[in-house]
Amino acid sequence: MWTRSTSAVWPMVALLGLTVAVGPAAAQGKQPIRIGEINSYSGVATVFTFPYKEGLAMATKEINDAGGVLGRPLEFIHRDDKLKPDEAVKAARELVLQEKVDFLAGCITSAVGLAISAYAKDAKVLYFATHCQTSRLTWDEGHRYVAHTTNNVNQYVRVVARKAASFPYKKWAHISPDYEYGQNLWEEFWAFLKHLRPDVQVVQQNWPKLGESDHSSYITALLQSGAEAFFSGLWGAQEIAFVKQARPFGLVEKLHYFTPAIGTPDELDPLGKEAPIGAITTTFPWYDEGVLARHPKLPEWNRKYTEWAKAHGVKDPQPKLGASWGYASAYIMAEAIKRARSTDPDKVIGVLSEGFEMEFPWGRVIMRGCDQQAIPPQWGGVVKMNKEGKPIVADIEEFHGKDIIKSCDEVAQLRAAAAAKKK
Amino acid sequence: MELITSLFPWITNGPLIAVQVMSGLSVGMFLFLISVGMSLIFGVTRIVNLAHGSFYMVSAYFMVTLIEVMPERALSFWIALLLAPVGVAILGGVIEVTLLRRIYRRDPMMQLILTFGLILVIGTLVLLVWGPDNKSVPRPDALAGSVRIFGQPFPSYYLLVLGLSPLVAVGLWLVFYRTRWGMLVRAATVDREMLGALGVNVSRLYTQVFVFGSWLAGLGGALAAPTVAVALGMDADVLINAFVVVVIGGLGSFAGSLISALLVGELQSFGILIFPAVSIVLLFAIMAVVLIVRPWGLLGRPEE
Repeated sequence: MWTRSTSAVWPMVALLGLTVAVGPAAAQGKQPIRIGEINSYSGVATVFTFPYKEGLAMATKEINDAGGVLGRPLEFIHRDDKLKPDEAVKAARELVLQEKVDFLAGCITSAVGLAISAYAKDAKVLYFATHCQTSRLTWDEGHRYVAHTTNNVNQYVRVVARKAASFPYKKWAHISPDYEYGQNLWEEFWAFLKHLRPDVQVVQQNWPKLGESDHSSYITALLQSGAEAFFSGLWGAQEIAFVKQARPFGLVEKLHYFTPAIGTPDELDPLGKEAPIGAITTTFPWYDEGVLARHPKLPEWNRKYTEWAKAHGVKDPQPKLGASWGYASAYIMAEAIKRARSTDPDKVIGVLSEGFEMEFPWGRVIMRGCDQQAIPPQWGGVVKMNKEGKPIVADIEEFHGKDIIKSCDEVAQLRAAAAAKKK
Repeated sequence: MELITSLFPWITNGPLIAVQVMSGLSVGMFLFLISVGMSLIFGVTRIVNLAHGSFYMVSAYFMVTLIEVMPERALSFWIALLLAPVGVAILGGVIEVTLLRRIYRRDPMMQLILTFGLILVIGTLVLLVWGPDNKSVPRPDALAGSVRIFGQPFPSYYLLVLGLSPLVAVGLWLVFYRTRWGMLVRAATVDREMLGALGVNVSRLYTQVFVFGSWLAGLGGALAAPTVAVALGMDADVLINAFVVVVIGGLGSFAGSLISALLVGELQSFGILIFPAVSIVLLFAIMAVVLIVRPWGLLGRPEE
């Protein structure tokens, strides 16, 4: 018994010694700035969060190699939210109370983002929402302890609405998943299209449940609706299923298809030759010659990210929107802390509420002061086949969010209305 | 009459109704294939196999890999369609022998925890093996297009589903009502102790039933693969639908599964036309009504 227990103890002692030896060296001798990052790292959302996490890690490495922030290295401590708001809040509490992190960050689903934001407001911890998209984060439910480092729904859905308004279609239908995000998308799209073209009308609506696997009945209903065009708030696996099921019905040949989500390689690549040619969508056009010419630093970033992703075992190492978001998020957080010359949340909030601008390989990102909301460039285009027979988004038109997004006055109205509702 | 046509303008549109009926049928047939295996496993082993959706998902991923590795395009889909469910049946067998066999006599809560744990384990393994990216299985070339039904386009691939599912239903009926093995399985659903006392190897019978049920889940997943995105999360979506169908039809009843699957498919198909705004709750509303009127399901037996 004696020998058995000692033989088990020695490797443990060795391991302990190793962590003690490695610990200070990894921290480069200085106390790191620690950010608790909560996101969905298991299950369905990993298709988005894995590239995002690599973008974040690559930026963190770059920042730390260049001397860190305020002379201190930046460190992210990741937690899995399992897509559940209560898990996310539990993780946030643990990160703040036990890990003593300086800031919170993360989110992929809107519900998680809003839950962490509510916790941050109570705990008076600054929270950088990253990957989730709901505009309620910084608008209806906005407060000083939340900043949003990426797009919100309003900006990219308005790109699609702008495109839609340039066509002569009057009769519209839509198919959107029946939950917060799907409703938000459709309402924002329709309000803006109606504003741009008052003569449009809705002839038919479809609200499948989130994750519905069979859309045949909705497809036949759309075909019979008499609409000239339709909007889709579907995304990810559900939209792939919808497109595959719609194809034999010839739906996208009969009704012009407008959808913010299909332009991502996560949807176009698996669809392959079944992709909906002619659909109007948004994308991150890292491969587009016009975009590369306009943004001369983008090719270098593409190369660096692809190498990074390959080195870290990412199965699909091509640059993705999520990767660019993770990358930008880390730099925006670092910039806010740098400008505040402190990790004190009130000082960082002071910087954020004044707003600042940053140049990224894909263009300028504005952190707007009035709502602490990021306003990046946007791209719209048409799904086409390239020479190799692979579907891509072509005829890219570049917008900047600042020309599309709701103004600070409109945001103030939204916040006032939300506050009145609560009373 | 005018009121009806103004409320439901589609009611005079014969071709539309025909196509909605057909698409409702194909939805129902998919539901039947998935739920009948779950119902069968419950009927015999009294285990609600929450991992049934995971077997369906694994089969779809098997399709992706099998089609990728096979060089011949024209035949690869059909070979994969044969092999993928067999792979899942083997997986089911291994799980039954190593895990489930130990918990048949335990508290039902323990069984739920184990099969729920399997969902998480299988989901994580799929993420590790195939990665997080969405996958897609192309339809076989012969069934990629559509046929005309009353002048309306209808996907020809669904004809395969509409043809194959009744064959499975008839096959099941023949196996369970015309073979000795089927008779033993039916006897096991009624009284397993008595069956064991009569010298039947009940343990082996359970394994066989579980393998067969897993094969059915695999067949559902393999057939559905070309019509959906093969992605993480497809297990949960299908599990809920299968579970609702099984509950409506009556746990353990094959005919119940068939009737309830077709009922759900058609009601969903027409519910979209009649109440588009509430189509999301329709499925659960039907289940609630059935549970109130007949808590044991349409063709189930009340527990004694």
